Amino acid sequence: MSTSLPKDKEVDRSDQVDQLGAPTGSVLPAAFGRNADFWRRTALASLAVSLSFMVAAIPIIVSGKNPLLAYWALARGACGSVDSIAFALNKSTPYILAGVGVALCFRARVINIGAEGQIALGGIAASWIALNGAALPGQLLIPLALLVGGCAGAGWAAIAAVMRLARGVHEVLGTLLLNFVGLLLVSEVLHGPMGEVGAGFPQSPLFPEQAWLPPLVPGTDLHIGIILAIVAVFICHLVFWHTPFGFRLRLLGSTDAAATYAGVSVVRGLFSVMLIAGALAGGAGAVEVLGVHYRLIQGFSVGFGFNAVAIALLASLNPIAVLPAGLFFGFLETGALAMQREIGVPSSLVFVIQGLTMVFVLCALGISLRRQRM
Amino acid sequence: MSHDATPPEIVSLPMLEMYGINKRYGAIRANEGIDLSVAAGRIVGLLGENGSGKSTLMKVLFGMVKPDAGTIRFKGEILSDHTPREAIRAGIGMIHQHFMLVNAMTVVENIMLGWSRAGTWLRTEQVAEQIRQTSKTYGLELDPGALVSDLPFGHRQRVEIVKALLRGAELLILDEPTSNLSPPEISGLLAVMQRIAKQGRAIIFITHKLGEVFDICNEVVVLRDGRVVGRSPIANATRSGLANMMVGREVSSGLIRIDRPTGPEVLVVRDLGLRDSSGYQRLHDINLTLREGEILAIAGVDGNGQTDLVEVLAGLKFPTTGTITLNGRNLTRTTVSDRLTAGLAYIPVDRGTTGLVPGMTIEENLGLRDFNRPPLRRGVRLDHGSFRKEAKAKMSEFGILASSPDTPVQTLSGGNQQKVVVAREIGRKPRVLIACQATWGLDPGATRFVIDQVIALRNRGGAVLYISSELDEVLMLGDRIGVMSNGRLLGVVPRTEVDITQIGLTMAGSSSEVSTLP
Repeated sequence: MSTSLPKDKEVDRSDQVDQLGAPTGSVLPAAFGRNADFWRRTALASLAVSLSFMVAAIPIIVSGKNPLLAYWALARGACGSVDSIAFALNKSTPYILAGVGVALCFRARVINIGAEGQIALGGIAASWIALNGAALPGQLLIPLALLVGGCAGAGWAAIAAVMRLARGVHEVLGTLLLNFVGLLLVSEVLHGPMGEVGAGFPQSPLFPEQAWLPPLVPGTDLHIGIILAIVAVFICHLVFWHTPFGFRLRLLGSTDAAATYAGVSVVRGLFSVMLIAGALAGGAGAVEVLGVHYRLIQGFSVGFGFNAVAIALLASLNPIAVLPAGLFFGFLETGALAMQREIGVPSSLVFVIQGLTMVFVLCALGISLRRQRM
Repeated sequence: MSHDATPPEIVSLPMLEMYGINKRYGAIRANEGIDLSVAAGRIVGLLGENGSGKSTLMKVLFGMVKPDAGTIRFKGEILSDHTPREAIRAGIGMIHQHFMLVNAMTVVENIMLGWSRAGTWLRTEQVAEQIRQTSKTYGLELDPGALVSDLPFGHRQRVEIVKALLRGAELLILDEPTSNLSPPEISGLLAVMQRIAKQGRAIIFITHKLGEVFDICNEVVVLRDGRVVGRSPIANATRSGLANMMVGREVSSGLIRIDRPTGPEVLVVRDLGLRDSSGYQRLHDINLTLREGEILAIAGVDGNGQTDLVEVLAGLKFPTTGTITLNGRNLTRTTVSDRLTAGLAYIPVDRGTTGLVPGMTIEENLGLRDFNRPPLRRGVRLDHGSFRKEAKAKMSEFGILASSPDTPVQTLSGGNQQKVVVAREIGRKPRVLIACQATWGLDPGATRFVIDQVIALRNRGGAVLYISSELDEVLMLGDRIGVMSNGRLLGVVPRTEVDITQIGLTMAGSSSEVSTLP
């Protein structure tokens, strides 16, 4: 039945594909839909994961190895010991933090793919605080470094947001290009003011010990970052589904016309969701340098941004589901080395699995979109 | 236009037969035991209100929806579990209400799109020639090289028709094809349809406009609540009979406009002008006043600045000149939510992308413009209980049919969707209501409902600015009546002094004799 007057509206935000007869407005959020059909989405995500494991078994078989043994090694490598679990949780933490921010952005139809650069800036800022705040006690220094890291990430995202709002440079382009700038900035400070003199590798001096994130379980590498990530996920979940601000984001995910009609400022919405995502990614960068490396290292954020996007999509852009999706990626990558060591299957196979998972998730998405259109 | 006597030998060989089609969506029976048969060379009108099951039935036929039960036989072959692609291959063509065209491509490119017979290496010239041929045969006057975005609406529809014909459609389904056309375009389309039928093809014509049914259909089938409630050759049908079958009751004469003295001025608009970013003056010196308890109805052909006017008044755009005052408060530069708080409700023209968020639920759409105020907002939280409570109240008050407030709005029929918008905007008991094409695309029953609600608001003392391109509606509703033409508001007069000829002339653009009145 008739739902809209056909008229040539100025298409401002890019993913409206009304010309092709697809539903106008929000393709992404419309496909991901509501919280309500949670179980169906969970089933779809699990199906995508299982299928990707099955398909990834093919190259393993071709190379003459047993995929079941390889996956067993993978699983043991990921969860076989307290140390490996601690390692995997640490690995998941920045993914979860950055992923939940990306999920919020995508929900509001803001295609922020700049988590990588935002993580880099968060890392730089937190490192600067850690290196220069040696006089402060840990209870002060760590929160301060995390906070400043978050602010730096938010600031980096704000640049892209301002370019988008003031100059019409699409946020995909802005955030993508700022990623490269962010990575180069890390190199720049490491070769200059923050570099460790005499080190063979571009890295900063080791942080003073009171700047290290305290361990969660004594005797392991597990630091408190995972708690921060879980708290962030739950806060984002509450904000998204249970506050007026979250309702605004969901409206922005529809059409700009509907959002404006509902009294929601598109400019403010876009700006604030970018700041939030930037702050989360910046925090992730801070956690990574303060909790894992204890120093700033060149290229410490490489690949995180795109994993964050993949995790957000695997989670159906549902903030709470980012938690299992992020853990999945973290554990997968942790097990990869064991698989390579024990079975001789290259660890890069997990990237194939990650990629395939995305392909299957997007397939499921396409199918549900098709159904919806009918 | 006339309908020809039926050649009997054609009737005996139906091209399409559908038996016992059943389709349920949750608790709602969209189709229940529907039989339909269409013979070659015939035009069958499928009549029914929004939500009566017409669209579902056609989606079943075209393979877009799987029926729960039923058989489809087309040209002697059973069609089951088919996709739209297979339906096209079998010879069924569907012209959707919303066109499936790529605006940035030419006519010939659109027709070649996804068509295997256009060749692996595109045979653009041959296809263009075929288009010229077909369009000559049926009097379509299509230029294959024209860009779709340059075509007027009626011509885009013709592209769809040619597309279906070239793909070998012997049965054409036209889903409310006339709802967006101007009167001359409508008569052109009807003539084309008759020519198509004369060539031995069959047409299913979905509509709720009775006049068109009588103009060209050979027979008519009426659906209501998912069942066939009447079918007859057109010669045996009467207008009032069909109308009553469609709505299932006598169409009431509607709410009575009570004579009431108009109250004080509520909305005052002075010298309003709007220039768009390309420098085009879209609104010229609009002056109007609205008093309590009156409806100012504005007629006009679409695209004469009506949308700009309502968007400026509702706060979606800011005017370049002039002022808007509500109850003595200058609202010219205030936000949408300020205007809402001041008592200004707005029913936009476009419920698909502005008035509603199709993916959200009924309760969320009912709270779409109030989520940031109590009772829906409590502190920093949304009160989901209040959403539910308000929605239930409004659904029963405004008769919104759905299994639960949790239903996504996109699953509702057009009429029910508009009821959601009306319930939200009139349900807030506004001082001023601005309604733009509030009955667009609605069937008679739903149209009646919207109009009754608007009159009831006016009788309670609300002020209404009602904009419509349906002159009948404007004349029925307006206490004062004006015309928009080329971004100007012209000839506002009390209903007692209306001169229909003058309004017609003004709408057609010969406004020189009419003075601009506040």
